[in-house]
Amino acid sequence: MVGLSEGEKEFIKGGISQDLRADGRKRYTYRPIYIETGVIPQANGSARVRLGSTDVIASVKAELGKPSPMQPDKGKVAIFVDCSPTAEPIFEGRGGEELSAELSGALQHCLLGAKSGSGPGIDLSSLVVVEGKICWDLYVDGLVISSDGNLLDALGAAIKAALSNTGIPRVHVAVNAADEQPEVDISDEEFLQFDTSGVPVIVTLTKVGKHYIVDATSEEESQMSSAVSISVNRRGHICGMIKRGGQGLDPSVILDMTSVANFVSRQLIEKLDSEIAAAEADEDES
Amino acid sequence: MEYVSPEGLRLDGRRPTEMRQLRAEIGAVAKADGSAVFEMGNTKVIAAVYGPREVQNWSQQMSDQALVRCEYSMANFSTGDRMRKPKGDRRSTEISLVIRQTMEACILTHLLPRSQIDIFVQVLQADGGTRSACINAATLALADAGIPMRDLVTSCSSGCLNRTPLLDLNYVEDSAGGPDVTVGILPTLDKVTLLQMDAKLPTDAFEDVMQLAIEGCKAIANYIKEVLQENTKQLECRRGL
Repeated sequence: MVGLSEGEKEFIKGGISQDLRADGRKRYTYRPIYIETGVIPQANGSARVRLGSTDVIASVKAELGKPSPMQPDKGKVAIFVDCSPTAEPIFEGRGGEELSAELSGALQHCLLGAKSGSGPGIDLSSLVVVEGKICWDLYVDGLVISSDGNLLDALGAAIKAALSNTGIPRVHVAVNAADEQPEVDISDEEFLQFDTSGVPVIVTLTKVGKHYIVDATSEEESQMSSAVSISVNRRGHICGMIKRGGQGLDPSVILDMTSVANFVSRQLIEKLDSEIAAAEADEDES
Repeated sequence: MEYVSPEGLRLDGRRPTEMRQLRAEIGAVAKADGSAVFEMGNTKVIAAVYGPREVQNWSQQMSDQALVRCEYSMANFSTGDRMRKPKGDRRSTEISLVIRQTMEACILTHLLPRSQIDIFVQVLQADGGTRSACINAATLALADAGIPMRDLVTSCSSGCLNRTPLLDLNYVEDSAGGPDVTVGILPTLDKVTLLQMDAKLPTDAFEDVMQLAIEGCKAIANYIKEVLQENTKQLECRRGL
């Protein structure tokens, strides 16, 4: 819960209209991002992302399953988000469920593509072991530990980092085609790395007053009229979009926002790539 | 199954009376009034304390003491097999209650009437002894929040397998079916505030096992004090004293 006085509200709005926010950032600047990978040893891949004082963990677990009959050549990915009460006391009990559901839904929209399985940010066909019979099911779990605004971007970045940290065991399939359920042998030593270059980043533009900003803190979010989250991949394609907040937006503003998101995403992807590489190098050393 | 080898080593290479590696860090959650991460080997928990603050549910307000509340939650990825449990299942309700009672016993609640203190513990990795780790993390978080306490509470578990008392059981040893004694003490006052045991154990063996757990608690207390002193020194430094 954010309690702000009238003066503070004016200060935040005034700062944004003059392109100098309360913490000294410009409208399109992110807070510093820190990434740590391999934080959960039991998972196939995991990452912790800190964006200012927002702190999230994402983990990826892979299990063998059966592809759905509609899409025999694709694996399955499920994204769940949990909001820990450590982040905000109002998440206590069932209090965090609404936000958790909203974030899970938004991440699924932005990263997994349509129901038909087309256009996802994550390459689902690389998860198939035997077409129509065996595939990998990826369970992506996000956990919000500390929240200071812009949870969606942080979770998106954490999932991207966790996926690039994920090693999926190589599977040897016994060749007897007649069998209904082929026998598999999961290797403990050989791991396949995941191609995450296509995984998009999520850029949330929060509209406060007449202007919009990236990476809003929770104080700034409390003053927003609406927010648009756009997921953009490396090639500059928009992979998903979601609008939140009560007030309507002019269609021309949305078009303007997409071009800004496109521009910002390029810097963000570059920053994430270098942070992920640094985190992986750190992990290898220790 | 053999849990202690003839050379006197346990499955993870520890001696019977050896504790797992401890690591603690204060101030993990920026927005909380007090917070801490506590690790015992592969068990890792985060505790956050909010308060003392206004009582949220007016009918729970007490005019002579503070209301202490606690919620324990486990992350989906904390255990080996991924599971999705509904919040507030029996086990976590029970652990929440245990932690709340233990912490309430050490907080000087009469100094903070009409207020509320919330303790949230989140398990990130579970490898046996989560209850103990949660209590230790909660102590650190309460100290970080500056809440008046009688003493630090520390907790440690011990058990008995292959007729050998073992300190600080991990998940494999915990699920072996032997007794599991969880003890919480106030180290300076030398009082036991928490004692739980499952499975059966001869009375004379129980004495050894409990003594071992108390020794473990004292070792943890020493470590926690070091961490708190180090933290205070850093705070001093930042204030330029």
